Amino acid sequence: MGPDQRILGVLDTSPFRIAIVYSIVFACAAAALLGAVDFAVSRVVDGSTDNLIEAEVQGLREQMLVLSRNDFIELIEQRSQDQDVRGAVYLMVDPQMRPVAGNVPAWPKEANQDNWFYFRVSVPYGDETREHEMRARPFPLYGGYRMLVGHDVQERQDVKSLMMRGLIAAVVLTLLMGLGGGFWMGRRILAQAGAISAVATQIMRGDLSQRLPVRKADDEINTLAREINTMLDKIEQLTLGMRTVLDSAAHDLRTPLNRLQATAEGAMPGLVPGSPERRVLERVTSEVDHMRSTLDALLRIALAETGTVAREPVDLSELVASVVELYAPASEERGIALSSSVAPGATVQGSRQLLAQAFANLLDNAIKFTPDGGHIRVLLRRSGSEPEVIVEDDGPGIPADKREIVLGRRVRLDEARKFPGSGLGLSLVAAVTKLHGAHLVLDDARPGLKVSLKF
Amino acid sequence: MHILIVEDDEVARDSLARALREAGHSVDVASNGLDGLQMASTTGVDLAIVDRMLPKLDGLALVQSLRATGRKIPVLILSALGDVDDRITGLRAGGDDYLTKPYHMSELLARIDALARRGEGNTAETNTKLKLADLELDRMTRRVTRNGKKIELTAREFQLLEFMMRHSGQVVTRTMLLEGVWDYHFDPQTNVIDVHISRLRQAIDKDFDKPLLHTVRGAGYSLREDE
Repeated sequence: MGPDQRILGVLDTSPFRIAIVYSIVFACAAAALLGAVDFAVSRVVDGSTDNLIEAEVQGLREQMLVLSRNDFIELIEQRSQDQDVRGAVYLMVDPQMRPVAGNVPAWPKEANQDNWFYFRVSVPYGDETREHEMRARPFPLYGGYRMLVGHDVQERQDVKSLMMRGLIAAVVLTLLMGLGGGFWMGRRILAQAGAISAVATQIMRGDLSQRLPVRKADDEINTLAREINTMLDKIEQLTLGMRTVLDSAAHDLRTPLNRLQATAEGAMPGLVPGSPERRVLERVTSEVDHMRSTLDALLRIALAETGTVAREPVDLSELVASVVELYAPASEERGIALSSSVAPGATVQGSRQLLAQAFANLLDNAIKFTPDGGHIRVLLRRSGSEPEVIVEDDGPGIPADKREIVLGRRVRLDEARKFPGSGLGLSLVAAVTKLHGAHLVLDDARPGLKVSLKF
Repeated sequence: MHILIVEDDEVARDSLARALREAGHSVDVASNGLDGLQMASTTGVDLAIVDRMLPKLDGLALVQSLRATGRKIPVLILSALGDVDDRITGLRAGGDDYLTKPYHMSELLARIDALARRGEGNTAETNTKLKLADLELDRMTRRVTRNGKKIELTAREFQLLEFMMRHSGQVVTRTMLLEGVWDYHFDPQTNVIDVHISRLRQAIDKDFDKPLLHTVRGAGYSLREDE
């Protein structure tokens, strides 16, 4: 695994995905919370500022009624000087919008009728000036004169932008920490899962003595690994038991068969060829042969089904080509055209002998049931990375309702009884297919049988 | 040849011993693994036939111990177990050939012949050129000639002929061919090997007076020069 792949692998782990989802949720929650706080604070602060300004406007309106214009201007000037510009702003303008009194240099263009508005004013800070935001309200005086009263809300803006910056930082930090944490956890999980899957691969190759690595911790993965290991112990015991039963069954059947064979063969040389006694013994040995091939097939099926077969990398392309080649002269003899198309480089994990026998059985069957002058096609193709082997003939085929049944043990369709064979050929194919985790499909080749093994 | 049979099944042991004696070999027998190991290690045994499941000392353990002492005699293992992997285990333990019960005596005799010949000095394994009468096979150039005339063979026919020539003069069974040439360890139900042989026979014998490739009835084939 290259470094890029390793990073991509981590991105694909569930902890990393969960971490991403959670950091996004937390970030959204943080944003919503701070937004709500900001909204509430704005309302309270704006509200109190507005009340303050409103009161002042009210006061000035009353003063306007009792004071002469000059006295009123005097009052405005007085207030402007009293008030630090950072506290409140006043501006009175004549009908041509020229400033008459106040501490704002010009009528702000943001002012619109009598509506509340914000505008900015330069405020001296020692040698330099800063722009401060003001909230203000304009209102008409007598004779086309207008006036505005405002309050400095810069502090509130500062707090707000501080909050915004805090908010953004919090969101970014949450995301980063979430991603980082997720990445770290993902790597841990990946390392553990990698160790587990390495062992699982070995177990699937038939090495049932392997166990998943377990650490001291009591987390989910370790608990799971421990339980799987207990399960593996049981499977190993069962398989060993099955294997022992199979071995002793094989032994107990092969030994008497061997005695029978040896005795019959031992007696034959003393008998005249063609004599009735000799013919009986020949019959005996041929029946022993038949029993032996049935027994071999049954044992191989059982071995494949218990999965107690050593596995190794098998060059499927080479194997299929060689089985086709093995059967080519026999099919040619019958005038059957055996054609094959084998994609190179297909490999599977498995038992070469069992796979070879499965393919041989398929070709055996195809040749057996295809009429003279017929066709058999063998195809190995790779759909994706998984190889698929297809054997097609144009013999009588198998009726759709009987396809499932023939894969069971010892089923010979009535039509097939006139052909030699143990009736275990397809059962062995089915067992070997299952052992290799492949998928066996019998289909109609129109006419004929199409057998497909998808690995 | 002096052959040791280590087999606990009396019927099998006796008929095996008789058949081997009839074939001209001298025979020693042992009925358990320990006796077998002792006899194989001390006496002048040329070849051992060892049953896989034996009392006192298991057949595989016997072969392993024998190999551990440096005895290189050919060993044929007889087995009444399943197969598939058992065969590999048997060969890994140090066996030279492996036969599953029940077997035909002809099969066993052919294999013993092949093993004995292999033990004789391995000349056929290392020579690049194999020769039988006027038939010549060059493993380097992959060229086959008979009486100086080039014979065209497919890759598989070439392998088949090479195997037959290495065992020339011996009986080669169908299973031996299937194992030696194709590396398959099962019995095909149809006569696939016979057809391959008849192809080869067409190629090497058809245009010549003296046939070299003979059918041995009830056993297999033999590539030899008939006198």
